[in-house]
Amino acid sequence: MKTRPHFEDAHVGDAIPTVSKVVRREEVKAYADASGDQNPLHQNDAFARSVGFPGIIAHGMFTMAHVVKTVTDWIGDPAGLLAIDVQFRAVVFMDERLEAGGEVKAVDPQSRRVTLSVWAAVEREGKRVLAVKNSTAEVQLD
Amino acid sequence: MPLNKALVGKEYPPLTMEVDREAVERFADAIGEDGAVFHDAAAAKVAGFPEQLAPPTFPTRMQIAVSASVAADPELGLDYTRVVHGEQAFEWLRPVHVGDVLTAMPRIADVRARGPLEFVVVESEIRDAAGEVVLRARTTLLSRGTGTSES
Repeated sequence: MKTRPHFEDAHVGDAIPTVSKVVRREEVKAYADASGDQNPLHQNDAFARSVGFPGIIAHGMFTMAHVVKTVTDWIGDPAGLLAIDVQFRAVVFMDERLEAGGEVKAVDPQSRRVTLSVWAAVEREGKRVLAVKNSTAEVQLD
Repeated sequence: MPLNKALVGKEYPPLTMEVDREAVERFADAIGEDGAVFHDAAAAKVAGFPEQLAPPTFPTRMQIAVSASVAADPELGLDYTRVVHGEQAFEWLRPVHVGDVLTAMPRIADVRARGPLEFVVVESEIRDAAGEVVLRARTTLLSRGTGTSES
């Protein structure tokens, strides 16, 4: 297990380390099987095109899992994640680079809890598109 | 057609899921979670947990079934082809681990419109076999084009 940040290390305005990965079709298929969400929008390009997308899209919860991993990688303690509330604002296509991160918004010295704003984004046609925004996570630090 | 707001407060049948090792393994692999506590019971025990942990969003498996049963409720009038997942919240009271038998108690917490969009909020309290609350989940489904145009 990696070094855990202490409560005293977290200051309002601090960014947590970002985590990024390229979203592969095989992973999204694996997620469909692992989560039980077999919506064809995530598996069948012809179906996705019939509802106006250029091809299949990742599950929102696939993107959320990446945001959660970004937070738990930072705190280094799976029990330290207390809550998360995520808004899905844009879809994610195959082979896009999905990046997630967060920023310290509030710290509570009594409980040693930290509130983060969290986000996920992809680069699309030279623009940054936020797939997750207006979202928060609450963590317990040592 | 607008959704049936009278369903706020409606409870759905409880849904039970046993957290099995193979499903946890598959889920962790699918999301790229390679932390030892999510793959190895011994590593989880060294870190102070009773068993191999499930990744925090593993209960998504229950939420998908819960959303499907709400969406299929003819009284609500949801057209699933118009539905997108708008928002998801979890609150954890402890990490979920292999061997947990979890039961979700879903209810409709809210139905509201904003312009052409309607929002259905489904909340579930998820308890373990001892009856202790392990986590709470809130799923917001957006129904496109069923609201009235004025908000």
